[in-house]
Amino acid sequence: MNEFVLSLIVTLVKIGVLLGVALGLGAYLTWFERKLAGHIQARLGPTVVGPFGLLQPLADGLKLMTKESIIPKGADVPVYYLAIMMAVAPAILLFSVIPFGPEFTVFGYKVKPIISDVNIALLVVFAMGSLAVYGTIFSGWASNSKYAFIGSLRKAAVIIAYEVVLGFSVLGVVLLAGTMSTVGIVEAQIERGVWFIFYQPVAFILFLFCMLAESGRVPFDIQEAEAELVTGYNVEYGGMRFGALPLAEWYLNTMALSAIAVVLFFGGWSGPNILGALSPYFWFLAKMFGLVFFVLWLHWTLPRFQAKDITEIAWKIMLPLALVNVLVTAVVVYTFGGAG
Amino acid sequence: MEWLIFGVLAFWLLVSVLGAVLVKSPVHSILFFLSSVLSMAGIFLSLGAELLAGLQLIIYAVAIVVFYVLVITTIPWEKVKRFEGFYRKELFLGAPVVLAVFLLMGYMVLKGKLASPVGMAGENVRELGRTLFTSYLFPFEVASVILLVAMIGAILLGRKEE
Repeated sequence: MNEFVLSLIVTLVKIGVLLGVALGLGAYLTWFERKLAGHIQARLGPTVVGPFGLLQPLADGLKLMTKESIIPKGADVPVYYLAIMMAVAPAILLFSVIPFGPEFTVFGYKVKPIISDVNIALLVVFAMGSLAVYGTIFSGWASNSKYAFIGSLRKAAVIIAYEVVLGFSVLGVVLLAGTMSTVGIVEAQIERGVWFIFYQPVAFILFLFCMLAESGRVPFDIQEAEAELVTGYNVEYGGMRFGALPLAEWYLNTMALSAIAVVLFFGGWSGPNILGALSPYFWFLAKMFGLVFFVLWLHWTLPRFQAKDITEIAWKIMLPLALVNVLVTAVVVYTFGGAG
Repeated sequence: MEWLIFGVLAFWLLVSVLGAVLVKSPVHSILFFLSSVLSMAGIFLSLGAELLAGLQLIIYAVAIVVFYVLVITTIPWEKVKRFEGFYRKELFLGAPVVLAVFLLMGYMVLKGKLASPVGMAGENVRELGRTLFTSYLFPFEVASVILLVAMIGAILLGRKEE
């Protein structure tokens, strides 16, 4: 019983820390993105609130919370509220299978810096990534607006297409590591002393595409094409209820999928020991935010694809490429022997 | 403690299944159905069948239900003529069947031997893969051929006429 209570407390503490850090970072990514977008477009970005505009996210939060909230006429109110939950919950649950560092010991009790180390962690990632589609579909449907609904249908088509490619692109890494557990994949890379991006460059590029598509980033942000759909599925939401949708999709999803990419292709927490006990965390976060930076950079540089091009690229080009990649990897692993 | 987790999940499953049957709006009904699929995945997870839980989430909760959702949400329900009332005849026909099946299943659970665990499988994914590709290779391959046929059929149906 004592053991059980202890593990329960440790898990609750981990969840609390992760929620605080993830939501705080998510809020501050808005500041970072606006600053970055400003400098890319030869502007300054937020400068007024606080030094370097650092208090801007707090001001935004206050503004969103004090706004008048309007529910559109003919909206399905329970589903309208439920849709926000269905968008935010999977994005947060994605973080539950991310290992931030190696196992360490506190007062003789072993702690893993991951919330649930299950051996189907990658399946959980796919499942949560695609469960987010319900938030989009139902937010569009429940607001009883044509623009919102067209946006949510576009997003559904994109997610269905890219979810398949995502699954197949990651299979190569699973074959190499011989496990689906995120901790196991990182350990397999550390054991061999090589990052899987060198073995699986095609898979990484496919994963990157899918990551952009799932988190609704340019060039795949067709569901919120501002010019034609006035931001799509969340157009009828106001105040903090509006704020939650982009927070989940643009920031939490991008961070979580970047972290998964680091686990799969960049060796997780591995790196030279420069900060002592904190160095694995430093390396993990550095790699993760490197990828997030790359995604934001693309967002403010590229134009957007047409709706039909996006699904065509997924089904006609990327899916065959992913299948060939899996086949070649399987043959190579079978002939030369992997960790099987 | 396990009975508590199982109880919560089972209660959630029952509520959502009843909701899916009793609720009037089709969209609410599909939401309850989705919730029942999720709680089923939770039950699998609490019983230690992790792979089954993951597949339940990916295949049922996402791949299958999403198509129902797409169809149901695009239909303008306010324009659809609906039967308002009580299905009396169906209830009288259906109730004895439900009762009989319930009694039968209750008897089986109380007296018979249904699923008793034969030793714990160490790693779900590895064990399942090994079983599928050794003992059940032929049915597995036949199933994949059937799926391939269905896929080709779908492509033929969806093809534009030149």
